[in-house]
Amino acid sequence: MSFSAFLDSRRASMKELVGELKKEYEYVSVLGSDVKARSIRADRNTSNISSGRDTECGFVVKMSNGSVFFEYSLDDISGDMKALAAKISGAFALNAALKENVIDEVHLGDEPLVQSFARPSDLADYSEQQLLDFCKNTKDELLTKSEFILNAVVMIGSLEVSKLFISANRELDQHYSWVNGFMVAVYRENDKVVQVREGANGHLMGEVLKELPTLTDKLLHKAHMLTLAKPITPGVYDVITDPSITGLIAHEAFGHGVEMDQFVKDRALAKTFVGDYVASPIVNMRDGAASVLSAASYFFDDDGVLAGDTQIIKDGILVTGISDLASATQLGLPATGNGRRESSRRKAYSRMTNTFFEKGSDKLEEMIASIDHGYMLFETSNGMEDPKNWAIQCVAEYGIEIVDGKLTDNWVSPVVMSGYVPDLLKSITMVSDDFKVIGAGSCGKGYKEWVRVSDGGPALKARVKLG
Amino acid sequence: MKKTIELLGLHPQVSDYKINIHAKESGELFFVKGKLETVRCTDTCDKEVTVYVDHDEFKGESQFFIYPSTTEDQLRELIDEAVKKALLINNKKFELPAEEQGSYAVESNFKEYEPAELAAKVAGAVFGANTVENASLNSVEIFINKHTETVLNSRGVDKTQVRYDAMVEAIPTYNGADQSVELYEQYNFGSLKVSDLEKEIAGKMAEVKARYEAVTPDFAIDCPIILNPLELNQLFMDIVFDLHYSSVYSQSNLFKKGDMIQKAPEGDVIGITMAGEAEGNIRSAKFDQDGMSLGSIRLVDGGKAVNYYGSNRYGQYLGETPTGELRCLCVDAGTLEDEAFAAGPYLEVISMSGLQVDFYSDYIGGEIRLAYYHDGSRVIPVTGISISGKLSEVLNGIRLSKKTATYGGYMGPEKAVLNQMKVF
Repeated sequence: MSFSAFLDSRRASMKELVGELKKEYEYVSVLGSDVKARSIRADRNTSNISSGRDTECGFVVKMSNGSVFFEYSLDDISGDMKALAAKISGAFALNAALKENVIDEVHLGDEPLVQSFARPSDLADYSEQQLLDFCKNTKDELLTKSEFILNAVVMIGSLEVSKLFISANRELDQHYSWVNGFMVAVYRENDKVVQVREGANGHLMGEVLKELPTLTDKLLHKAHMLTLAKPITPGVYDVITDPSITGLIAHEAFGHGVEMDQFVKDRALAKTFVGDYVASPIVNMRDGAASVLSAASYFFDDDGVLAGDTQIIKDGILVTGISDLASATQLGLPATGNGRRESSRRKAYSRMTNTFFEKGSDKLEEMIASIDHGYMLFETSNGMEDPKNWAIQCVAEYGIEIVDGKLTDNWVSPVVMSGYVPDLLKSITMVSDDFKVIGAGSCGKGYKEWVRVSDGGPALKARVKLG
Repeated sequence: MKKTIELLGLHPQVSDYKINIHAKESGELFFVKGKLETVRCTDTCDKEVTVYVDHDEFKGESQFFIYPSTTEDQLRELIDEAVKKALLINNKKFELPAEEQGSYAVESNFKEYEPAELAAKVAGAVFGANTVENASLNSVEIFINKHTETVLNSRGVDKTQVRYDAMVEAIPTYNGADQSVELYEQYNFGSLKVSDLEKEIAGKMAEVKARYEAVTPDFAIDCPIILNPLELNQLFMDIVFDLHYSSVYSQSNLFKKGDMIQKAPEGDVIGITMAGEAEGNIRSAKFDQDGMSLGSIRLVDGGKAVNYYGSNRYGQYLGETPTGELRCLCVDAGTLEDEAFAAGPYLEVISMSGLQVDFYSDYIGGEIRLAYYHDGSRVIPVTGISISGKLSEVLNGIRLSKKTATYGGYMGPEKAVLNQMKVF
């Protein structure tokens, strides 16, 4: 596996196009993406090898003359570059009403840099046959373990990313891969049907294939317990969050609110809290493609800005947000390497990457022991941001009741956390000394613009409204 | 594409093939605090080939994409690789749709405009609709898309359709003395009626003012909940997903044909039809990804699941006559007259973080960003509360309005009244 030969073949044309458009525009860049996604899947009745949904190959041209940004997405950059440049420019004739009402002057930076990046990958070591056999065997093993399984699905998804960024002063390319494996069981027991999942992910296929089969017993125990789960009695409780729910809080409750394109739009309450306490003093939070190696780790972002490692909350105080190039420039700040696109056909926004709370010093068992009555919450279902008003909606797949400092066999499902973000973050009184970032997620902005993300952290002890 | 078809036809192991071509032109405008920030255009075309190989008693399939740069030699390699992958797949056999040709256009007035021109017209309507003092649209994103979709297969299907859709994502904001609040608005449409768009945006501007004025109630609320089309779409689509052939074939469905979705209905009985096309519905299409012509099918009648629906392949696996991938959700109107909504008390949900519907856990609920509490004499905007209930009980008692609305992919009752919900 190596950098895309197709993008390499278009490198010279991309430079020529930048040169042509530079005659008319102050800033011009071209991003080429060649993403090969592969999905291999087996269930009780069918199997499948297909292109994953992230597969794409194309280009996006970005231009500016010190005010409005123009972007043109296209399939190929080849042939007569003068003609292509003229076609692209011609697509952006604005009517008078639009011309009269544009954003203030803003000049995008273009510091010189030429660099190639690559992360070792073992994808080439595994054939489709091997991966399909793995999925079928793991599925069969799962099915033999319980008579209550109606269906079992095992899937391995891989992503091989090549990106080439060319501007007047920058030429960057990167090549990396990521692997997600998961298994799902549809399970009927105690007159109730539940769906449960477990996953393993990493940048090496070998590690994912090793870990995934070890999770079958955990999956089946969870399925059994969820058939016995009851609804939670709504109320305010002391809770312990597992790394998945910690990550959900970092991501949904707080992370979206520090995406700095929202600062530009006056959409983020966080903008007015920089330098203030927004969380308990034992809380530290980071985001960055370079912070940890996970699903959203890359070397440069879709604006050609090198990956960052941003401290968002330090000792409970909001330090800064995360930004794409356009937003950072408008705010007069350095870009943090968080400019991401769903694909070359979509706009770049300020987006989270790997978002997590940092570990603390408490032992998980001591945290559980400190609760008279509450719940430990597990596994992200979904969440929704509210950056302007800091309302929370985070949904956990299940919770386990804690009574007199001990986990019980009383499971509740699903569990919806709601409330006000600072109330939740300021209620954190213990942070565990272990840490896990889970790289299986994808995230939308509003209800669109899906990108791969990871999140996680240690276990947190907090007080929240559950329903 | 001729060369691709020729090479597929010449390959001795290719039993069948399907080619999907999706050309997309878009005009997009992005505004920040009322000022134009970004203008985007897309001019792209995806070409995906599916190769089917019949081997032993099985049918295997595999896909690949063709790019403008793909050479003839690369095409031969891609076909060879796809055949090898398809030979690894041991799925039950099925037949592809056959011998249908045609060119279609889904009805829309978008065809009168270029995408960029229409985007500018929509922008004018959106900003013109804000007449609320101290209210603004801090972010507006407008997407106008023209899709030209073609399906070709080895059994004589050759169909093309042109369809349009548009989306406005707007963030109505109210800037008061104490604080600034916002709501989230996503409005989808397939044909432009400026007055409808203006009414939608104007309504949201009034609602965001209400969110500013909203209070977290310091009194207990115990009354029926009213949901609007956005949430009703979520609720009914969850039922529809469960009746999809692929859910049934994979045994992940909870409802089987003949099962009562409303076990003991005490309110209105639910009726759901899935259709290929419905007036004003943004999901309207003449045919699906397999080239299957789309009609309609009754899925839920009198609160009972009566049919399944879905793609050609899974329909055949289940021994059903395939319906194709129907995407327009049509829910029967109920019996509740407008006057019934005048009496209180009730809590009308205006904006949620997202309605959570979980048939597995028998749960419905979520966090409310804005609701109107009608106490019988006054209307109080409230926020900072959540609702939850037992889904089976809620469905049994659901009341549906006689008046209907179309919203995105949903056509059905404008309002529903849910009883037995907890507000906390």
